[in-house]
Amino acid sequence: MDGSILESIGVEIIGVMSPVSICMLLVVLLVYSLTSFSSPSGEPIRTAANLVYLEAPSDSTSQKIEGSLLNALVFVILIAVVTFLLVVLYYYNFTNFLKNYMRFSAFFVLGVMGGSIFLSIVRQFSIPIDAVTFFILLFNFTVVGVLSIFAEGIPIPIVLRQVYMVLLGIIVAAWFTNLPEWTTWTLLVALAVYDLVAVLAPGGPLKILVELASSRDDDLPALVYEARPTVSRNPRRSSLGLLVGGVSSDSVEVEMTRHNAADSRDGDSVEEMDEETSPLVPNMVPNMVPNVRDRMRSGSSTSSEFSVAVGQTEIVEDGEEREERTPLSAMLDMGNEMGRQSGSREVREETTRGIKLGLGDFVFYSVLVGRAAMYDLMTVYACYLAIISGLGCTLILLSVFRQALPALPISIALGIMFYFLTRVLMEPFVVGTSTNLMMF
Amino acid sequence: MTLAAGIGYVLLTLGPSLALFVTVISTKPFLILILLSSTLVWLISLIVLSGFWKVFLPIKTTTWWPYAILILTSVVFQEGLRLVLWKGYKKMEDMLDAFADRVAKPRLYLTDKMQIALAGGLGHGVAHAVFFCLSLLTPSFGPGTFYVDKCSYAPFFLVSAIISLAFVTIHTFSMVIAFNGYAQGNKSDQLIVPAIHLIAGTLTIVNLASSGCIVGIPLLYIVALSTLAYCGKMVWKRLTETQIRLTHQNQ
Repeated sequence: MDGSILESIGVEIIGVMSPVSICMLLVVLLVYSLTSFSSPSGEPIRTAANLVYLEAPSDSTSQKIEGSLLNALVFVILIAVVTFLLVVLYYYNFTNFLKNYMRFSAFFVLGVMGGSIFLSIVRQFSIPIDAVTFFILLFNFTVVGVLSIFAEGIPIPIVLRQVYMVLLGIIVAAWFTNLPEWTTWTLLVALAVYDLVAVLAPGGPLKILVELASSRDDDLPALVYEARPTVSRNPRRSSLGLLVGGVSSDSVEVEMTRHNAADSRDGDSVEEMDEETSPLVPNMVPNMVPNVRDRMRSGSSTSSEFSVAVGQTEIVEDGEEREERTPLSAMLDMGNEMGRQSGSREVREETTRGIKLGLGDFVFYSVLVGRAAMYDLMTVYACYLAIISGLGCTLILLSVFRQALPALPISIALGIMFYFLTRVLMEPFVVGTSTNLMMF
Repeated sequence: MTLAAGIGYVLLTLGPSLALFVTVISTKPFLILILLSSTLVWLISLIVLSGFWKVFLPIKTTTWWPYAILILTSVVFQEGLRLVLWKGYKKMEDMLDAFADRVAKPRLYLTDKMQIALAGGLGHGVAHAVFFCLSLLTPSFGPGTFYVDKCSYAPFFLVSAIISLAFVTIHTFSMVIAFNGYAQGNKSDQLIVPAIHLIAGTLTIVNLASSGCIVGIPLLYIVALSTLAYCGKMVWKRLTETQIRLTHQNQ
């Protein structure tokens, strides 16, 4: 191969970063175009994320902090309980129930939450569309979405699956941006901490889940974005190890080869995978869902087995009390009481299937950026850069530790830090200089 | 209409960078990472600077010297940062070369090194455009526009987009010049970059004067274009030199 190594380094990182970026971009656009629509005087909605305390602009700061802390606490406890429940169900092999539950929640999110977002888009831009067409389109959109996310036996292009994963993330994140400001911040911090504990602490639900899944050679029962290396003829090297300064220098020689998944059912590539003896790395070959077969697989050298974890959290939203603006969406809302959605956070798997990023990470990154978008564009850029660099750090750590890592903590910490630094320090400075037309 | 104008301002500032990004950077994932990290570095430098200047802002006087000090400190700080970047890049280059040796691929070509420098510069440029121009554009998407008194010939957004374009050009290509200068130990190349940056920054002080932008912006563009020309000349020279050396070796 004659190409320079610049072309081969970082493919996987970009493979994860670009969908995250797209997700954030779309959430920001959505927030921008819809904030003018949702009237500021509207009733604050009560969801699972603000069960205890409804923030009102007139409350004092200490009241807000206290209330939002309580909200965050309750929400995290809720998530933890639901996650434990899922782990228990998974432990006792209620796999079918879990699968159907996830199908239902995906259907619900795409259909009802997505539907009401589409509805507000239709209203905002005065798109001429009648109700029947709208419902038919929405129904088709939803069914295709559910099929493509949990397709078994149907060969569905990976791109479609990825698109729907990003869409799910966008829809949930757009809902979360409706939360009041203080609650959003404390919630994000609490979730980051929870993520850290759940993935890393012994006995953490996500850790148990990953270990269970890997001991069963099973797919994680969670919504996970899989960044599959782009299919290409050229064997590419997975070279994340390099980025961390040759930590894994001993093992780079092994060429990363690609197999069709069909081949990998043969003994030889199974052996190849068995060589990667990282305890956590699940050997997924035997039980892979059929549609994986037509995906390209890549057996990788040990150096490249950075992996991402797949975790699972449950985001519970009680939609019942959402105030809706139109009869149509009120109708949609009737089905809302079961507003649950499983977003999954972090976890790692092996490179042979590319990096995996839980959908929950998509959601909460986008929530942070969406919240920043309500202040100013400058904070959006700062938060975006902070989150992406946090994600980059996490990926690099992943190649060092080679175990499931939480993707939220670093990114959220950096994101929040940069948000407030930008808002407090940078904005007056930049606005002051550039309104005088001075730059440097 | 205003939406179109807003998009127009964005494209005016970032159009050339976008073209560079699509044609050069986006095909090579590693360059995208360089671009992002360089943007982040620039953002951090801006935050540090604003933290420093927070004490003195807002500047109430209409005199020019506080602004001159502000620009001087900023330029000095950012040029210092460029040295740090170069050190980091040097380490990374060694790592990349070692890695290339291990996987039996060719080491970094000269063009690769230049592209890395370009990506780094583009990161600085884009960060500049984003924070000084794009982030103020939000009102321009709404109804109406905004004029500043001292430069009332064009809307504020248009003027700042034009100025930003010049700075994006300067930042992008001065990084190529600087890295090349460091690599070759060429003193004049090393010194010309801070000089360009300082001159360009100083020229914006002209905008403080009433209708100073009539004079300041053309001068700024002369600086930007000469940076571009200098960089182009330098790259051409280096490329032809290595070409000649390679053909000699082959003979």
